[in-house]
Amino acid sequence: MSNAIEIRDLEYRAGKTFEVRDLAVNVPTGAMYGFLGPNGAGKTTTIRLILGLLRPVRGRITVLGSEIPREAARMLARTGYVPEAPHLYPSLSVDECLRYHAAFYPTWDWKWADELLGHFRLDRTRRFVTLSKGEKGKLMMLQALAQRPELLVLDEPTDGLDPVVRRDVITAVLDYVAQHNATVLISSHLVHELERICDWVGVMDNGRLVAELPMHAFKSGIKRLRVGGAPALPGDTPFVLLAREPGDGAFETWIVRGWQSPMTQYFDGVGATVREVIDLDLEEGFVELLRTFRGPARAS
Amino acid sequence: MFRQMLYTQWKWSRLLIVAGALAGFSIPLLSVRPLGDPTVAGYAIGMVLSTVGAYGLLYPLLAGGAGLMLALATWGPDHAGRHVYALTLPLPRWHYALLRFGAGAVLLSGVVAGVLLGTLVAVASVELPPGLRAYPFALTLRFALAAFVAYGAFFAVTAGTNRTAGFILAAIAGLVLAQVMVSAAGSDVGFLVHVVARLFLWPGPLEIFTGRWMLIDV
Repeated sequence: MSNAIEIRDLEYRAGKTFEVRDLAVNVPTGAMYGFLGPNGAGKTTTIRLILGLLRPVRGRITVLGSEIPREAARMLARTGYVPEAPHLYPSLSVDECLRYHAAFYPTWDWKWADELLGHFRLDRTRRFVTLSKGEKGKLMMLQALAQRPELLVLDEPTDGLDPVVRRDVITAVLDYVAQHNATVLISSHLVHELERICDWVGVMDNGRLVAELPMHAFKSGIKRLRVGGAPALPGDTPFVLLAREPGDGAFETWIVRGWQSPMTQYFDGVGATVREVIDLDLEEGFVELLRTFRGPARAS
Repeated sequence: MFRQMLYTQWKWSRLLIVAGALAGFSIPLLSVRPLGDPTVAGYAIGMVLSTVGAYGLLYPLLAGGAGLMLALATWGPDHAGRHVYALTLPLPRWHYALLRFGAGAVLLSGVVAGVLLGTLVAVASVELPPGLRAYPFALTLRFALAAFVAYGAFFAVTAGTNRTAGFILAAIAGLVLAQVMVSAAGSDVGFLVHVVARLFLWPGPLEIFTGRWMLIDV
């Protein structure tokens, strides 16, 4: 499978306090890639590097086969982008914003733009500055979709939107992807939102990629175990022990990654028993992953 | 693409253009008012020229002001959005800057047109005494050159970040401060005068702003 976005050994410094280090990201073509991370993790910086807005100190970025930032203009003609903070020209009306935007994209689809205007209930005559945050977000999304992109880069597109608007926006994206097999990179810290729609997930923290894997692997790979008679030193485990917490009585809670049923044999071998194996949802897995990344596993 | 850029820039700088064009139209009319006074006799020609010359100071000021304001207005909305939208449009940065510059230059010609119309109406509305001649086209051409020089210079400065503008202002302020300190120390060295002379006297880039701006002259 080819990659719509490939990042290798990327390094970027923003001031003295923040840097992106040794970043390697692969977004498969046709994937719905959820880019997760807490605020300040470097998601927006990485997206700006991908779009050629920022220049890396080191490393290589390829997007839709174009070297970034050298061939950014060629890539941007095939990419729809919705920024974290919606901004267009305040004095222009919705219609004027669309006409301006359309002038730069030969692939612009007016018919679909008109349909989306109706779907999003946007008034053509209203000036951008008078739109609510949700309406601005919808207008940005409309612009990104009506240019018929091969790649959609959405930076927290639903942040701060009410549930109705959020659903409208996500539905429009899913419809587009279903019809055009486009690739989507969507960043968010709303984990549940990505859990429903993404098939790949990348987790970023403190300027580094913590994990990148298919969503099903992420969701099924992290478990919470209730362990009875747990050894003080776990030794060589066949899974990755992310965290270990004392429980009530004789049972401890272990958070593990890469769990498979036959691995219960390990516990038999150390004289322990597994009482319960609980699937973690994406948010719990995400939190545990970050906890492990930020500090040593409390495994001993 | 250029048409849309021109239209959007017109939308956010039209008041400025209209005000500049009105000012450009009014200055020539005001400057020839003494000639419309029937009590002004031939011996008062000196006074007429003096009035025309005094109003002539307003042309370079208008040219510089219009260039500055239009340059600020050209980049203002992009600055407000930290250029994120502009930089994600699918064209090279130089091409985008060229489109912005071109659209601003076209709009600036509205102010120049105001000056041209004003000078033509002003000249047509008065009867010139013998020995005096009107220079509406030469004055307008000079105004246009000055306005575009100012627009070009300020466009380049305002295209940069606030930090760039800050460096330039700090350099100017530093120069002035250094001159003040040198003078306060009792030295006769006047390097600021030399810098200004280099800029404003031939062949300096801002020479066009100096000298006499006469709509009517001998």
